[in-house]
Amino acid sequence: MEKVIEIMNLTKSYGNGRGIYDLNLDIYKGDIFGFLGPNGAGKTTAMKIMTGLIRPEQGDVRILGHSVTEEYEKAMAKVGCLIEIAESYHYLSAFDNLRQLARYYPGVDHKRIDEVLELTGMLKFKHEKSKKFSLGMKQRLGLAAAVLSRPQVVILDEPLNGLDVEGMIDIRKMIQHLAEKEQTTFFISSHLIHDVELTCNRIGVIYNGKILNVENTQTILKNYATLENYFVSEVERNGRVSSSAS
Amino acid sequence: MAVFQAALLNELEKLYKKKKVLVAILLSLAVIVIGQLVIVGVRSGFGLRGTGSVEFPMLVLSVVVNTILPLFTALVAIDSFSGEFTQNSMRITLTRPVSRFKIYTAKITAIVLFILGALLLLLVFSLLAGFIFNTNSATLDSLSRTVFSYFVSLLPLTVLALAIALLANIFKSGIAVFFVSILTFLALKVLGVLFSQYSSLFLTTQLDWYNLFLVNSFPMLKILRQFLIMLGSGIMLFTAGFYIFDKKEF
Amino acid sequence: MKFKKKSVMLVSFTVGTLLLATTALADIASKSGYDELKGAIKLTTEQASEKFDSFTLDYSMALKDNGKTLESSNETLKVDRTKDASENISSGLSANGDKRSSQSYSDKTTMIRVSESDPTYYVTEFTKERKDEAFNNPFKEEEAADIEKIVDAVVGSLKDHVVVTENPDGSKAITGSLTEVQIPSLVNAVASFQLKQEFNNQNNNQNNSKMPRLTKDVFVKEVKGSAKVNADGVMESILGTAVLSGKDEQGTVHEISLEALVKVMDINTTTVTKPDLTGKKVVKDIARYGDAEMSNPEKFVGKFKNDIIIEKDNKFIKVGERFVDITQIDGKSVTGRYYSEFKPEFEEYAASLSDFKFEAKFEQDQKTSANFEGTNDSGDKVRGHIYLSEYEGQVNFNIDNFNGSFGSGLMFNSSFSPVLD
Repeated sequence: MEKVIEIMNLTKSYGNGRGIYDLNLDIYKGDIFGFLGPNGAGKTTAMKIMTGLIRPEQGDVRILGHSVTEEYEKAMAKVGCLIEIAESYHYLSAFDNLRQLARYYPGVDHKRIDEVLELTGMLKFKHEKSKKFSLGMKQRLGLAAAVLSRPQVVILDEPLNGLDVEGMIDIRKMIQHLAEKEQTTFFISSHLIHDVELTCNRIGVIYNGKILNVENTQTILKNYATLENYFVSEVERNGRVSSSAS
Repeated sequence: MAVFQAALLNELEKLYKKKKVLVAILLSLAVIVIGQLVIVGVRSGFGLRGTGSVEFPMLVLSVVVNTILPLFTALVAIDSFSGEFTQNSMRITLTRPVSRFKIYTAKITAIVLFILGALLLLLVFSLLAGFIFNTNSATLDSLSRTVFSYFVSLLPLTVLALAIALLANIFKSGIAVFFVSILTFLALKVLGVLFSQYSSLFLTTQLDWYNLFLVNSFPMLKILRQFLIMLGSGIMLFTAGFYIFDKKEF
Repeated sequence: MKFKKKSVMLVSFTVGTLLLATTALADIASKSGYDELKGAIKLTTEQASEKFDSFTLDYSMALKDNGKTLESSNETLKVDRTKDASENISSGLSANGDKRSSQSYSDKTTMIRVSESDPTYYVTEFTKERKDEAFNNPFKEEEAADIEKIVDAVVGSLKDHVVVTENPDGSKAITGSLTEVQIPSLVNAVASFQLKQEFNNQNNNQNNSKMPRLTKDVFVKEVKGSAKVNADGVMESILGTAVLSGKDEQGTVHEISLEALVKVMDINTTTVTKPDLTGKKVVKDIARYGDAEMSNPEKFVGKFKNDIIIEKDNKFIKVGERFVDITQIDGKSVTGRYYSEFKPEFEEYAASLSDFKFEAKFEQDQKTSANFEGTNDSGDKVRGHIYLSEYEGQVNFNIDNFNGSFGSGLMFNSSFSPVLD
């Protein structure tokens, strides 16, 4: 299987003891990878490094074979992402916001912008300025921005933040649709375990800056009643290990 | 290059959509109108000529190059950096396939183009006002020197933009950058008077360097030295600013 | 890759720093034409006041309206520092057409003046040798450094308009010219307003003046200057021209130009000759020169008086006299008595003025003035100030807080003349 994202020995620590330590992870083509972990486990840190917002102290991330730290433009050329809160220029309309981004990708025209707005259900707000948008609308716009360039890899940090149930279902459908139709690889972090269970086909658990385990969703569900049970047992096992070690 | 163009186009669009351009146009026109009114007042009140048709643009330049142009430069530069840092909207651009070097350069270029636009606008309108309202005193020489003066003023203003961009990358708050810039500006002005023998090293004096191009003898060496001083400080400021920008975590 | 980016940044920063530092040093080291001009003026005045034994300074000025001379003046100052003597010949034409010409000579002991309109030689002889320099260096004055700074700041970017061309023999020509567009508008406006007021005021004072009255469109059209500096760095000549343009009430355009030329000539070869007074009409005058030191203070011993008057029946009537009687005086102190005498019919006023003795020490560097203190009849302290005027042969005697006289209607001043008969 073709490796799409390679995370190698990634280390980044913050003053308060948080951070990630020697993270190793491979994501393969067609994966909808669920990055599961409690708040502060290092999910966002890892994803920020993957998208170049912060630099690692050690290690590197390769996306489609290109190093993020050294060949940023090449690495990011086929990546769409949404990190933390979906940001937009509030003085620009939804359309103008997307057009700004479209300029970085040669194949994206106005028709494609309309397409992604349709896909995320934002077409009717096309010419409204984003400062009037609700949190959910902003999140939809952010998702539209993430998939705008028909990326091969999509990195989403808490994509369902602020969405209502209908929105969650819409987005989940969209993700599955893209994964099936366009073979898009997803890297999704979430603390909503149930949702991850429904959306993702591979799951990695991160706790205290370390990857505990990576497993197929099907395999997990064979052994555990729910994903939640698996998550709790993984975390507990790790907690015991660390407490016995100390 | 295509990526840089995209980044630049984006920066320009943001400037334009933020109504900055409109404010700049209005303020520039206000300066010209007020200036012309003062001249008319001086002429009828004191019996002085005030300015001739070509001197009026020079009068306007001598005023704006020390006032509204540095102010515009500061506001636009602070908005372009500090503004996007605090709103986190810098991430929108940063997570696209464009290097930070290109983003930084595009931002600076957009600011420079903005200043150039302001200069051109002031030049055109002050020339128009000069020809309509003032006694004709134009010669081809004085006209070309006037136009030239406007264009060369872009260089010190660019250095100023680089300096403010550096400050905007050092300090978190845009307001802090603004006040530090203004205080530094005033301090340099005062120092330029107190130590007039070193004043050519100060940016505030360099803002007036267009005067060198008005000198009949065209002091080539002096112009070259001033150019190199500005170039040197420009390179330093750009590198330092980019270094900090490149290290920043978002 | 990482390493490359860092080194590129380092190199570019270094290049920027080096570029800035080297040019900055070169810029500070390079002397502008303005600096050379300043240097030449300073050197010339310094040499003139300290080094040259003798020299001639020629100063001429002309004011022209559209090329027609309105006013002109010419002055030649010859200085011989070895003898501390100087001679000044001046001539001129004023705006209302009057010609004038005068000549003066001065050395340590005499000063002679004569003018064309009055061929009398006025001779002033000094009792003491004067210590004045024939020519003072203005840059040695206390305020000179501050004034220089202010001038530098005002001149500002106009400095660069001064151009120096060096000749093969080591001499230099310094030139500068400013036309309309080069003169900052504000400077132009202030200068033309000032000049316009000046000209028009002069017009009001002299009705038959040929000076045009400018009312409209006044502006400074051109300012030019050139100077010649010889191989020794001494300025030989400096010429300045300013052109003011404007319209009078009839709408005629006037270009008023002011030209000034200063030349330094005949360095060490100038001779100053005392005018020959034989056979000339001479008025002599002896000057008691030198406030600071009195050669014969004893001449002030004696009585000095002034009148006390009142106003009565629309007339001034003398009611008495006040006296200052100096009994002792030398270089250090003066003692005496102050009192007043009234005519018998006005004795009732006597009570309002007091009698007292005083003693005063002269101030350190002012041997003619002193503060005194005395005690009057009623035992009160009286303070005041005494000033001996050698020129007027008078004593100025002021009593502090002395306002009783005004209430009583008595009138007098503080100058006391000697009682001589």
